[in-house]
Amino acid sequence: MSLLSVRSLTRSLAQRRLLAIDELCLADGESCVLTGENGSGKSTLLRILAGIDAPDGGTGCFDGRPFAWRPYPDWLRKQVTYVHQQPYLFHSSVIDNIAYGLRARGVPGAERERRVAEALSWARLNHLLDTPPARLSGGEKQRLALARAWVLRPRLLLLDEPTASLDADSRRQTIELLRTFADAGTTAVIACHDRDVIELAAMRRLDLVDGRIITD
Amino acid sequence: MGLLDATRAALLLLVSGDPELWGIVGVSLSVTLRAMLVATPLGIAAGYLLATVVFPGRRLVIILTQGLLASPTVVVGLILYLLLSRQGVFGHLQLLFTQTAMIIGQVLIALPVLIAFSLSAIQGADPRARETALALGASAPRIAWTLLLEVRFALMAAVCSAFGRIVSEIGCALMVGGNIAGVTRNMPTAIALETSKGDFAQGIALGIVLLLVALGINTAFAFFQGEARR
Repeated sequence: MSLLSVRSLTRSLAQRRLLAIDELCLADGESCVLTGENGSGKSTLLRILAGIDAPDGGTGCFDGRPFAWRPYPDWLRKQVTYVHQQPYLFHSSVIDNIAYGLRARGVPGAERERRVAEALSWARLNHLLDTPPARLSGGEKQRLALARAWVLRPRLLLLDEPTASLDADSRRQTIELLRTFADAGTTAVIACHDRDVIELAAMRRLDLVDGRIITD
Repeated sequence: MGLLDATRAALLLLVSGDPELWGIVGVSLSVTLRAMLVATPLGIAAGYLLATVVFPGRRLVIILTQGLLASPTVVVGLILYLLLSRQGVFGHLQLLFTQTAMIIGQVLIALPVLIAFSLSAIQGADPRARETALALGASAPRIAWTLLLEVRFALMAAVCSAFGRIVSEIGCALMVGGNIAGVTRNMPTAIALETSKGDFAQGIALGIVLLLVALGINTAFAFFQGEARR
């Protein structure tokens, strides 16, 4: 069953085509990797799917429900989570960062605490509770960003180069976490050049050139 | 009375808890703090809207706000005087020569500082902060609150800067307050009055308090600016 389908998705900037996708369908629980050169449209596609940027045109359907991008619907925003290539962490605590999305969804205190504790263990961040997020290493920041996404149990997870600029150990830990997303049946779209991540999402690979999907 | 004697008398006034002197300090701080209570949320909200909402004439509003940063306080006082005087549009409110008039004047002087600094702080925030809040499902008010928290040190610096500007301004306070003893006489107007009367002791004592307040504010400003850059 299709979780997400988009049609005729286009975006241009200063007369330069950034994205021109005729059709893209993602099955529920499917993981797919976006590959392509820098500027091929991978990040643009992820940001549009996440509702951060709006396309110039196109239609979408999520779980059988049609939607428009202007404005990006709130019900859809609650189902989708996006993680930047270099995740931004709020200048608060590790716990507050993980709890942010739960607070935004109005999850009650006790339930929120339980889910945050579970996410902390999942990302192996328990020993870093007193460390300001800005002082975490690159790998720890990435794990915190993934925990922040994991705690929300999104139907669709969008990741932009999750293993870029990480050392070997952090890369391995990040890939392990990504595997648990896949095992939990989360539909994921991952922009990536990392061969191990590509193998992880071996189900499907989309190559983008000049904003178009050339191989699927 | 020589300068040394006047300074000695000033210190004596300060440590002896002279009620008139400390009453003036009280009026000054009370008026300024109430003005800041009104101006701060308005200024930060306006700065946020200018930074995040695109509307026709936005650029003009920004230029105007930045231009008003350097507006002479005596001109603000003059305009307010004309509006609040008996023949003025708001003359029927009988606010001239009251603390309320002084507060209105100080709010008008503080607002451009707060708006311009808040605008700059929010525009300088990492764009990923807003995008992350959005991607995690935050509503528009929560995104606004998150952004303001992320730039809180820069906003505190804005508050310190605005407080420093209005606590020491004399032009507007003198014109719309009238320097009435025990009611609208604040530190800057009292210093001017006592000095003109040749009573240097009280002028110096108030000058010391004002200097300490300004020093404290500027220290806090420097601290918050440093934190904001970290």
